[in-house]
Amino acid sequence: MLFYAAYLFKSSLILYILAALIALLMTKNQKTCNILVNSICILSALLGAAASVLKLTSGVDTLPLIQVHSVVPFISISMTIDNLSAYFILALSILVCCVSVYSLGYISSYIGQRNVALFYFLYTTFILSMILVLTSDNAIFFYISWEVMSLLSYFLVVFESEKSESQRAGKLYIIMTHLATAFLLVGFMIIYSYTKSFDFGLGSAAAIMPDSIKNIVFIMFLIGFGTKAGIIPLHIWLPSAHPAAPSNISALMSGIMIKTAIYGLIRFIPGCLGVEHSWWGITILALGIVSAVLGVAYALMEHNIKRLLAFSSVENIGIILIGLGVCFIALAQNNQLISSLALTAALLHTFNHALFKGGLFLGAGSIQYAAHTRDIEKLGGLIKKMPLTGFFVLCFSLAISAIVPFNGFISEWLAYQSLYAFMINGETGLNILFILAVAALGLAGALAAACFVKLFGFSFLGLSRSEQALRAEEVPLSMNIAMGILTFLCLLSGLFPLVALKLIDPVTVSLGGSSIFSTLRGGFLIVYYPLEAAGNTISPLIFVIFLVIFIALILLAARVVGGKYLERRYGTWDCGFEALNSRMQYSATGYAKPIKIVFRILFKPTRQVVMEGDSIYHPDAIQYKTSYTSIFVKYLYHPILLAVKDFAKITKYKIQTGSIHSYLLYIFIAVMAMMLYNRFL
Amino acid sequence: MNNVIYILVQIVVILAVAPLVNGINRKVKALSQKRKGAPPWQMYFDLYKLLKKNTVVSNVSSWVFKAAPYIVFATALAGALLVPVTSKLAGSHIPGDFILLIYILALGRFFMMAAALDTGSTFGGMGSSREAMISSLIEPSILVSLFTLGLIARSFSLPEIIMSVQNTGIPLSNPVYIMVFLAMVIVLIAEACRIPVDDPSTHLELTMIHEAMILEYSGRHLAFMEYGAAVKQLIFMTLLVNIFLPTDQFITLSGLLAVVLSLIMYVLKIIVVAMVIAMIEIKTVKLRLFSIPNLAALAFILAFLGILQYFILGGGYA
Repeated sequence: MLFYAAYLFKSSLILYILAALIALLMTKNQKTCNILVNSICILSALLGAAASVLKLTSGVDTLPLIQVHSVVPFISISMTIDNLSAYFILALSILVCCVSVYSLGYISSYIGQRNVALFYFLYTTFILSMILVLTSDNAIFFYISWEVMSLLSYFLVVFESEKSESQRAGKLYIIMTHLATAFLLVGFMIIYSYTKSFDFGLGSAAAIMPDSIKNIVFIMFLIGFGTKAGIIPLHIWLPSAHPAAPSNISALMSGIMIKTAIYGLIRFIPGCLGVEHSWWGITILALGIVSAVLGVAYALMEHNIKRLLAFSSVENIGIILIGLGVCFIALAQNNQLISSLALTAALLHTFNHALFKGGLFLGAGSIQYAAHTRDIEKLGGLIKKMPLTGFFVLCFSLAISAIVPFNGFISEWLAYQSLYAFMINGETGLNILFILAVAALGLAGALAAACFVKLFGFSFLGLSRSEQALRAEEVPLSMNIAMGILTFLCLLSGLFPLVALKLIDPVTVSLGGSSIFSTLRGGFLIVYYPLEAAGNTISPLIFVIFLVIFIALILLAARVVGGKYLERRYGTWDCGFEALNSRMQYSATGYAKPIKIVFRILFKPTRQVVMEGDSIYHPDAIQYKTSYTSIFVKYLYHPILLAVKDFAKITKYKIQTGSIHSYLLYIFIAVMAMMLYNRFL
Repeated sequence: MNNVIYILVQIVVILAVAPLVNGINRKVKALSQKRKGAPPWQMYFDLYKLLKKNTVVSNVSSWVFKAAPYIVFATALAGALLVPVTSKLAGSHIPGDFILLIYILALGRFFMMAAALDTGSTFGGMGSSREAMISSLIEPSILVSLFTLGLIARSFSLPEIIMSVQNTGIPLSNPVYIMVFLAMVIVLIAEACRIPVDDPSTHLELTMIHEAMILEYSGRHLAFMEYGAAVKQLIFMTLLVNIFLPTDQFITLSGLLAVVLSLIMYVLKIIVVAMVIAMIEIKTVKLRLFSIPNLAALAFILAFLGILQYFILGGGYA
């Protein structure tokens, strides 16, 4: 079994490399390139998924893949799959498979207009770099892969480089991601200075390092990975980078790339440093609470579909961090059962989010493909033109709002259960934080529902608000197949959560937790088993069966009591005036306004009303502009930026005078300082 | 077999009582205005009449509009399975807890809010937008309240919570329960679209919320929307009466007689609560839309104080 896993995995890697090469070679024939590269990617993603499942069910933890040691010290290629990597690779492979199917149709609109071959080269190498990040077991190799992943995703963000929006997004992204990488590097260096090794296996730094240093390394990792994950307040790159990239890339970035940061947090903090202080977990939990609530609150204000989805990713990262924070607190208190439960919630939500957020980004791509706009205010009525896309987006919207038959509910339920398990165990000091986490999860869930009612309702329902939306047509079949697969998976893992949980169990066990689901027996696909955690049981499947029975009975009762269903089609009630038009509909801005007013402290909304015409009482035209300020940009980044600028100005005039004599003096002082340091310290 | 009886009793009782609550509410309000008012069972006739009528469907709308009434009604019924009307049918358990209940009702609400946008009517959008605000603000209070009760009962399952309350003496003599009870009353008012949050009897665009969402519905669709709302209201009332005003512990009989007695008590309690809600509606005025957050904050603070007292008093058995 294990042998096959390694074999399958290596062949999948080779296929990705092959796909990249083919993409490079086929710059002339873009149509064939599109089909060929995607077919290879689908195949290798399937192989990767199969390998991960084999690995997860094999019961063996680490599986070394490739070990190439070079003559240069520390530089070596060493790849190992353990259960944690395998789990993330499974999520990656499933999403890559769907995205590749989707790209068959989606990229066809790029053919002839852009360099599709270059795109596919970047696409395949980007996937490859993510796999390297997830499998490397050496800090230097991890660091290089991480950097390659960041750079390739940067190229993909600026792929439509003639747009100034893309350029700005790319610049912000690369600055933020490099700042983050610097923190990671410092973290690795500090660990190295104690353990004298860059190998993850040998680097169990927990025993050697003093407490204060561990705390510093934790902060380094938190900032480093937190930026990639998009934790508030480090999230500012996310809402601009995601919309700039092509939609299939956004799906991968939001579905998997930001999750590599979650992978990093799990890999390095409990795995390498060992969690001894509760405050680590508390910090992560608090950040999770803030990200979950603020992320969705900002998402609600956005009218660009992809910006909305990007902010919603911030929210979901927050939910994952709530699970992770509880896990770390439990680890610090040596409570294995709760830590495994919370880790399960975090990991499952990671997987679920990859499915439905990937799907939603693909849906956004389909909308743009059909209606050529991402502005919700210009859409509407698409469900009649694109019934399949509409149905899938509705399902993803339900899933991301944690509504019952879909998978988002299961992971949030587990998060609630882990909080409950902690509270019933009873350390009073933290309970207040936990109850705030419960409230935050509830608030975020309800706001997410509002947000996705807005997204679905305003783009797919009602009357079309623009010419483009009116002319939209259903997208190619391949795009709908991809979304259909993701919808099916969302529903499957929502109805049969045990399938997904069975795959998570080895991960939590290998991270030193206890197996929560070890009591499970086979046959879970056919036979009904309720999901049980912390003494509570649910069975979503039973409820779907009830729902179906009830709907059938209601239809039957309506027929028996009310007779035959007679329907009359008539216009919407227009208060007796002329026929309604699309501009009389409620706008998405108006829809979000009550919540904007309630949470005005977060948004600091401003509006501009310009009346045109002779009298303000009878204006010919009214311009209404509304905007909000991001409090983080204004109160956090702006002051820092100004301070850096001022400091640069000071150095420019005081230190860098331009005189060669003073530069020589600096060199002299520097040399002296170094010599003194070496002599006396 | 136990489960089948349990499900049948739940569905029959909830379906039978839900319209009565609205009838009583309207009757009390009418009497307070020195009107005679319709009989309390008027809503049964209304529903029957609506079922018989033809249905007008907006030509702007899609399948979402037509599916929503069935989903709203079916989710309310499925939710009703989780909230036992009597604890005397013990031994029967549907696997589900209050978190499942909240998110099942969320499915219905999602479709109702989406369907309101489907006709292209401004009223629908307005109602949907307001519902989005109120439901998100009230959600933390529901969760924290029920979490407190779950911690006391050491289980999230509502039958277990209801059973555990019966052993604690009079719940409302305990500060934890008092706080949570008050929070739940506000939750009930908000979820049931009652004054001071919403006014179910108005069709004025400035004030309506729930009515605005279902404005375009007619015929059997309207019947199911209204019945669904009534069932949802009854779910929250059932929570209130069975958790905070338990009477089943006084019934020492067993068997069929106990169940019947307990159900009679249940219906009486529901009638009393319906009257109290009507009195609240009579005595208060509808809040301005942007004062509702204050009410929601009050509910949250009460729920939060409740759980704090649980932590301080420990176990809640004061």
